[in-house]
Amino acid sequence: MKDRLEIVASGFGGQGVVRLGQTLGEAAVKQGLRVTMLKSHGTEMRGGYVRSQVVLSQKAIDSPMCETPDVFLALSSSAYNRFKDTVPAEGIIVYDPAFVEEIDASLPCRQIAVPAKDIAVRNFKRPIFSNAVALGSLAKLLETMLEKNVVLESFLEVIPKYKDENRNAFEMGYETMNI
Amino acid sequence: MKRFLETGNFAITEGAILGGCRFFCGYPITPATELAEAMSLRLPQVNGVYLQAEDECAAMHLCIGASLGGMKSMTATSGPGFILYADPYGWALGCEAPMVVMNSGRVGPVSGITGAPGQGEFYLTRYPTQGGNFETITLAPNSAQECLKIIVEAFYLSERLRMPITVLGDQLLTDGMEDISVPENDDEMKEMGLRVWPRLYHKGPDFYPASDALDIPPVQMGYDTGALCSDWTPTVEGYDIEEVEEHHKHAYRLIYKVRNNPQLYEDFYEKKYMDDDPDLVVVSYGTPSRVVNTAVERARSEGLKVGALRLINLWPFPDRHFSRKTKYLVVELNWDGQLVREVQRAAPKDAEVKFLGCCGDLPTIPDLMETFTKMLKNQPLERKGWVLEAW
Repeated sequence: MKDRLEIVASGFGGQGVVRLGQTLGEAAVKQGLRVTMLKSHGTEMRGGYVRSQVVLSQKAIDSPMCETPDVFLALSSSAYNRFKDTVPAEGIIVYDPAFVEEIDASLPCRQIAVPAKDIAVRNFKRPIFSNAVALGSLAKLLETMLEKNVVLESFLEVIPKYKDENRNAFEMGYETMNI
Repeated sequence: MKRFLETGNFAITEGAILGGCRFFCGYPITPATELAEAMSLRLPQVNGVYLQAEDECAAMHLCIGASLGGMKSMTATSGPGFILYADPYGWALGCEAPMVVMNSGRVGPVSGITGAPGQGEFYLTRYPTQGGNFETITLAPNSAQECLKIIVEAFYLSERLRMPITVLGDQLLTDGMEDISVPENDDEMKEMGLRVWPRLYHKGPDFYPASDALDIPPVQMGYDTGALCSDWTPTVEGYDIEEVEEHHKHAYRLIYKVRNNPQLYEDFYEKKYMDDDPDLVVVSYGTPSRVVNTAVERARSEGLKVGALRLINLWPFPDRHFSRKTKYLVVELNWDGQLVREVQRAAPKDAEVKFLGCCGDLPTIPDLMETFTKMLKNQPLERKGWVLEAW
């Protein structure tokens, strides 16, 4: 495991960006890791910009900032454009093409499209489950560090409603991610 | 001991309850809203009282009432609410009512940016009210785990010194989440270095002694004690008076009970790589110090002789840390520079004191590294996108 793993998720308020970061953090605590998770947001509950920054480590964490994220989940164009250049060559950007329309092909890192919103709408008729899909895809990426079942269990604790839908959406995201 | 992924607000709530807090009155404000929320849930579970007041001014006044009634009380807010404490803060100082005041800084002035961290109340916590003739104590933790300890310590200090204690944080500290360990009983508290002590009650005169003595239990109203609590000068017997000589005694106590007992708070600081007289000392407090620590570690690995000094006790200002003639870089979450002024005052006149300010976000490690290198090479500091004249 890396000394320090940085995960950034960013998008609009209401997309579940904070819950997603919190879920990864909860899963890491359950596995005995040290965790920090920062959330920054505007005044609005919905529609404003939101970012969560998660750092996982086996040692105590000093800086809680994700300056060179290993994984960046972009759920809006503005989030993508704001943070894409912080991802190093060995990092990965995961984006939802429903929200991020234009991709910068000149970036050195891998970029993986996960159509989370489409999957959510197609299968559950509600875009609200797209963060469960996105989380499932991240769980696949982070599998060497966080156990999939622990992530799912933490997610169902963090969001105790619509458990069946969330579980299914999570699994679909997990299956969608090809690495 | 329980382990959680939780916010600093949660850690502060649990710390307060461990420290004996059973009364919280506040007015919710980002980024301290979750603190009020957690208190409203937790206090009734431990036979405590949660009250939401009509505004911050009333909230702190209600805390004074609870404190004089014998309860350990606390309030919490952010900058726009802290300024409304100006009146009750003075009452609490004057009536020597112990309590803890939490301020989670966001970006100002006025409402500013709610969901981003700021450090704009450094001086305001020193002068939270009008009139002068008092000393204040401010403590600034930099992690959720440390919040737990500092809040307990703030309650302890507030009782030993009979005064309100301010705990200064920021949005990242209170809203950010971290893994924290919470003790479940006194033994676990002691094991984790948290203080455990009995609440003392004042049962008789002298109510307001004209001395710097510690360990005079807080005044408690009722129970046939007969002591008065007003906005006038209190006398030893517990009456109030408007008279210069009596006021001199009162002011002496308010200032020197703090100044003459530095052993209670002067150990609250953290030094990293400071044992070999570093060529550059980076000074900070609160959340930015965590980025500074990482940057200083990296600087050391690249052979730069840089050290980090983190202040936890901000007021009374610890001048003694700045007696050495060297270079100082002060890192703060504001663009106007507040802590840097105190460092300039406390450092030798020919020491080099520079400022790196951020507005709304933490400093980055590359920016810090660049500033370290330039200062060590005696190069002028440039500002990106913003020019500050003074520093």
